[in-house]
Amino acid sequence: MGEATTRFFDELDRRGYEPRLEKAAGTVRFDFREDAHTDHWLVVVDHGTLKVSRVDHEADTVISTSPELFDEIAVGREHVIAALLRGDLTVTGNALLVLQIERILPGTPHARGPRRDFVKEAC
Amino acid sequence: MGENLVRILDGNTFVVSEKTGDIEATPIEPAGLFSIDTRFLSKWVLTVNGERLTPLSYDDLQYYEARFFLVPGMATHYVDAKLSIIRERAVGSSFRERLTILNHDEVPVDLEVRMDAGSDFADLFEVKDEILNKKGEIYTEVESDRLRLGYRRGNFCRETTIAATGGPRYDRNGFAYSIRLEPNEQWQVDVDVHTAAVGPGGRDLRIGLQAHGHERLALQHDLEEWIAAAPKVNCECEPLARTYKRSLVDLAALRFSPVSLAGQTLPAAGLPWFMTMFGRDSILTCLQTLPFTPSLSRTTLRILAALQGARFDDFREEDPGRILHEMRYGESAAFEEQPHSPYYGSVDATPLFVVLLDEYERWSGDSALVMELERETRAALKWIDDYADLVGNGYIWYERRNTDTGLENQCWKDSWDSISYSDGRLPGFPRATCEVQGYAYDAKVRAARLAREFWGDPAFADRLEREAAELKERFNRDWWVADGEFYALGLDPEGGQMDVLSSNIGHLLWSGIVTEERAAKLAEHLVGPRLFSGWGVRTLAEGEVRYNPIGYHNGTIWPFDNSFIAWGLRRYGYAEEAATIAQGIIDASVYFDGRLPEAFGGYRRELTKFPVEYPTACSPQAWSTGAPMLLIRTMLGIEPHEGHLAVEPVLPVGMGRIEVLDIPGRWGRVDAFARGRLEIDRLAA
Repeated sequence: MGEATTRFFDELDRRGYEPRLEKAAGTVRFDFREDAHTDHWLVVVDHGTLKVSRVDHEADTVISTSPELFDEIAVGREHVIAALLRGDLTVTGNALLVLQIERILPGTPHARGPRRDFVKEAC
Repeated sequence: MGENLVRILDGNTFVVSEKTGDIEATPIEPAGLFSIDTRFLSKWVLTVNGERLTPLSYDDLQYYEARFFLVPGMATHYVDAKLSIIRERAVGSSFRERLTILNHDEVPVDLEVRMDAGSDFADLFEVKDEILNKKGEIYTEVESDRLRLGYRRGNFCRETTIAATGGPRYDRNGFAYSIRLEPNEQWQVDVDVHTAAVGPGGRDLRIGLQAHGHERLALQHDLEEWIAAAPKVNCECEPLARTYKRSLVDLAALRFSPVSLAGQTLPAAGLPWFMTMFGRDSILTCLQTLPFTPSLSRTTLRILAALQGARFDDFREEDPGRILHEMRYGESAAFEEQPHSPYYGSVDATPLFVVLLDEYERWSGDSALVMELERETRAALKWIDDYADLVGNGYIWYERRNTDTGLENQCWKDSWDSISYSDGRLPGFPRATCEVQGYAYDAKVRAARLAREFWGDPAFADRLEREAAELKERFNRDWWVADGEFYALGLDPEGGQMDVLSSNIGHLLWSGIVTEERAAKLAEHLVGPRLFSGWGVRTLAEGEVRYNPIGYHNGTIWPFDNSFIAWGLRRYGYAEEAATIAQGIIDASVYFDGRLPEAFGGYRRELTKFPVEYPTACSPQAWSTGAPMLLIRTMLGIEPHEGHLAVEPVLPVGMGRIEVLDIPGRWGRVDAFARGRLEIDRLAA
């Protein structure tokens, strides 16, 4: 289990509430498989309220990846939808929940964002 | 796209073949069986006794099925066939083909029937190139009861499985039968071609991707329901009746259900290369079709909201609040060789999203959706103010951050040379185009209504109205080309105008950003000889340096563009000018059997006598399909007004009588009637 992944879920648990998940309700389990061992994180979303635990419960949606890949996803260096299309990440269950959860993942670490001329002038 | 290609589809699975039903893909004829932006069959060739077959006729019965009647041998002087071969095919959850061979001879015949099958697994973005160096590995597995063609690159795996009844012999290149047919005997087998996007563990990633029932009967039933639910259009003008019917069926074909919303559909952009979600195309199509097929708008708003940008990503050009441009499912998106996972490089989809939500509520009365999408709508408005104004002067600008695979022009005229100065020079970046400022104005005005009536936030409403008024004033100061008396196509950061006369000014009328006293001049330009060809309004006016009657965005006529221009003219009271444009486009539809193409040539009507189709135009294309519907709305002057539907028709004489029955909306269902009384020769001359 990588540090970034742990940090990501810890932070999610501390946040407790995420307005971008106001419309989401359900349980998402993350399975990180390495050899014979699988780590689990369970996120319970109830209209924005978040609870994170490390139990292997049945869930509406199960997202499976390698621990390495999720470590990259957790810091924005890899992208969930591209990974899903590539087959490096798999999803079973409610696909809409995946899209909703995906939106709260970080963007690319060194993204420039829109270049604004007037900001530059002001500097 | 060759004319001899037959296309059938369901959702984003489609087949493009020759008139024999054969598929032989080349860069020039990009035929094949396609699904999720991947080619699953690039070769599918039927032979009898080693000979190719000749088509007698084909029917594309419905958008999802086709039938080919064939005889052996190549066409020579006449056909004296003792054999008939019928291929019937349909696409749904898989591609199915039924082969029937009839022996008309008085003696038995021995036949070797063979289907050659193969796949290059090209990404949709590769099909017009020679496919030489795929990064993964293509494999073939021959089993006793099926043939498996596959492509693997890491965990990315796409597989075509071919299985036929009648006990064929499978080999690496297809399957074959040796049969004997007695006189008048008939032989029949069914072939099933299954496409799969196999994830680890063998699971298909397309959970609920297909839209409707898949099975032929379910598809038939679904189409009948779709047509029954839409208003009936009865009219004396046969071309209008035909183009409406054609559009309704094509719109059914273009429905697309994204992975995450099983069973709910939105319009994909167009067949064959754009069977996917496009922010701009889907929204504009919904706006065109609201009076006829309102269910599309609800899904479109929801899915675009679900995928709204949430963070910064320079490769995908994602920003918080931005509405997506294009989503793709193929290899190039998966390996991030293309940014479509999804790609956000458009500046108009975001304001248009707000416009559609308001327009949808005005028709449907679906206030619950307005409440549901409040956060996303506010985020879209914030994007307009915070992230799109790259120059800091109150306009929406664009400059791509993905300089390898991003789009240079992020407005609807997105080809590289579409935005220019009057001397033909291309401007630097960032760029701003006029119609997008109109959309932003309209978005603010409409959002103010939503904030006041639904969100209980009058302060926000006041602010939006104030900003809209300021934008209108600023726009009319900075963009008006005084000597030409029109609005500039674009602006550069120094305030320099791209002072060419373009169709974009018609969109400004639609958005309401034009001051009353300037509208008359715009109307005059739009039906004047430089812009209006007799069939429609050109993207760029005759006489401009870059004008070319078959220049993609520099002179061709786009039916979708015209439908919004007509709507805009009507909004400012120029009903006759609107009817003139409507008449021209509907006249043009006759030459395309009612199916308006993406674009046709800007040649003067007197010169060519018929509209010249743009060479590589995509057809059917959603917003061309939606154009006749918006033109009907415009001519009939139907508008939601305080909970009921107002009707104020202004029709050309040639339209005769029109009835539109059962228009759905917050009023239940109502009818609209009209009769053509307008002589438009004066204007069209």
